[in-house]
Amino acid sequence: MTASARSPAAVVELDGLSVRLGGRPVLCDLRASLAGRAIGLLGPNGAGKTTLLRTLLDFFRPSAGGARVLGQEITGDGRELRSRIGYMPESDGFIAGQSAVRFLRLMAELAGLPPRAALERAHEVLFYVGLGEARYRRIGTFSTGMKQMVKLAQALAHGPRLLMLDEPTNGLDPPARSRMLELIRDIRDRGETHILLSSHLLADVESVCDEVLILKQGRVAACCNLAEQRRANRSFVEVELTDAAPAFAQELAGLGCEVALVGDRRLKLVMPAAVTARDLFEAAARHQTAIRWLDCKRDSLQDIFLRAMEDDRGGV
Amino acid sequence: MAVYERVWRPYAGPVTPVGRRFLVVTRYALAEAFSSRLFTAFYAACFLPSLLSLGLIYLSHNLALLGQLGLTRELMGGLTLIFFRLLFLWQAVPAFFLMAILAPGLVAPDLANGALPLYLSRPLDRRAYVLGKLAALFLVLSPPTWMMGLAVYLLQALEEGGGWGRANWRIALAYLVGHLVWILVISLLALAISAWVRFRPAALGALFALLFVLSAFGSTVNAITRSSIGDAVHLTRAIASVVQHLFGAPTSSGLPVAVNWLTLAAVGLLSIVVLNRKLRAHEVVR
Repeated sequence: MTASARSPAAVVELDGLSVRLGGRPVLCDLRASLAGRAIGLLGPNGAGKTTLLRTLLDFFRPSAGGARVLGQEITGDGRELRSRIGYMPESDGFIAGQSAVRFLRLMAELAGLPPRAALERAHEVLFYVGLGEARYRRIGTFSTGMKQMVKLAQALAHGPRLLMLDEPTNGLDPPARSRMLELIRDIRDRGETHILLSSHLLADVESVCDEVLILKQGRVAACCNLAEQRRANRSFVEVELTDAAPAFAQELAGLGCEVALVGDRRLKLVMPAAVTARDLFEAAARHQTAIRWLDCKRDSLQDIFLRAMEDDRGGV
Repeated sequence: MAVYERVWRPYAGPVTPVGRRFLVVTRYALAEAFSSRLFTAFYAACFLPSLLSLGLIYLSHNLALLGQLGLTRELMGGLTLIFFRLLFLWQAVPAFFLMAILAPGLVAPDLANGALPLYLSRPLDRRAYVLGKLAALFLVLSPPTWMMGLAVYLLQALEEGGGWGRANWRIALAYLVGHLVWILVISLLALAISAWVRFRPAALGALFALLFVLSAFGSTVNAITRSSIGDAVHLTRAIASVVQHLFGAPTSSGLPVAVNWLTLAAVGLLSIVVLNRKLRAHEVVR
């Protein structure tokens, strides 16, 4: 990718990125430009999601190609880049003997905050993730869910521009998982921080992300913009009428819809932006029929993921 | 912002210089060390030999006080080289125990529960991390060793006068260089063992075991070969010989002092290699 071809708004740009670990290739020629507010990294276990995150953090050196995070080369000044990133690892990450507030203060200070500001932020972030009452307890005594929240808190403490979350809902019970996803969505919606979420749970990625990179065996299997996909899917509608009404189809065609008849009472429509579901109901009423069933086509992330897993050539 | 509002906001305030970030690691390590009363009490006790020596020097030069106590300068004996070498030993041995207590607790807790990747995901590299830990050990061990040693030397030079300080400059050199080398080598070794073992009590045991094993192995080789070749791996004898050489005294090792220096350098380098291999954000399994 040439400099002129780079998207200035891209959060992560992968430019033929390859990584070899222990003598074997783990990531092969990854190419993508991701600019979403919340980007999902999807793939089965061993696809290379965590390795990609660690490479972007400059923990692993690329064997070929390169990547840019927030417009900065990962092989450049790693310290400068990491000061803008918050990282929540998949595995345990805490100092058992320290209280949560002390641990977060240390992490914030290491990120560059002066001691006073770091302490203030540590308290704020612990309250934000719901650990306010437990902030003076040693982390070693926390439950799994609380430890996950501490990991999220330490990633947030210094106010990063990019938050890298590696399997954030691992080991959480349903309410805790819901709370974690709610927090991630809240951070996303504030619009100040980009999120790079690695997960093998499709529902988590679908509920948070607007862009998805799917990896399979260290290669890009698919890269798609979920937000655009959702917008596009809104215009695909399937309708079933109570009575056959060919004039109904003709009227819809007259409104600009693309209509395909599936049987005499069933239609598939592609609606222009100006046509709404209300127009369909009104048209049906005019033609002495009623809509018994209406379904907006939902090309779910699961469909996209399954297609990507089936298609070795990749690229959606 | 009040914490109860439970909102999160990005940080837009000032940041500390990246070059001094390792001092955060140092500061937290020191705070952790001195949070133990037992450690603090032992640390204070490590100053006793030096404080007693300062008192002795003051007393031996204060004829009026000696007279009141019914003593004479002759009874006190001369403050010979042996006195300063003994003081060195009385500083170095407690300092070693200080370091043995402190060093494993600096690295092992960071590795035990995967906190190291969190350190390294920030603007802090592995060198800065090790430098921060080493600086903590240096700051703890310096006052009761070479700093107090130099204070004793200076007091004696001032009290004695008549060019005593200039004539005995090797004492100052031995206190400064000997202690610094000892602190550096043993600190690196302790950090390396702690990084390898990852469990504080085991790291402490492994450090003592390694010193014992190396000494026993060296002595055994000496006995079998009826030579001094085993001193090449005898760490405590190597440092003792280097310090004796710095004092200008005959060395206890049968090997040239350059070999003793090489032994210390090899231990230091080996420790750095171990730290380089073990202190990684993530280990790669081959």
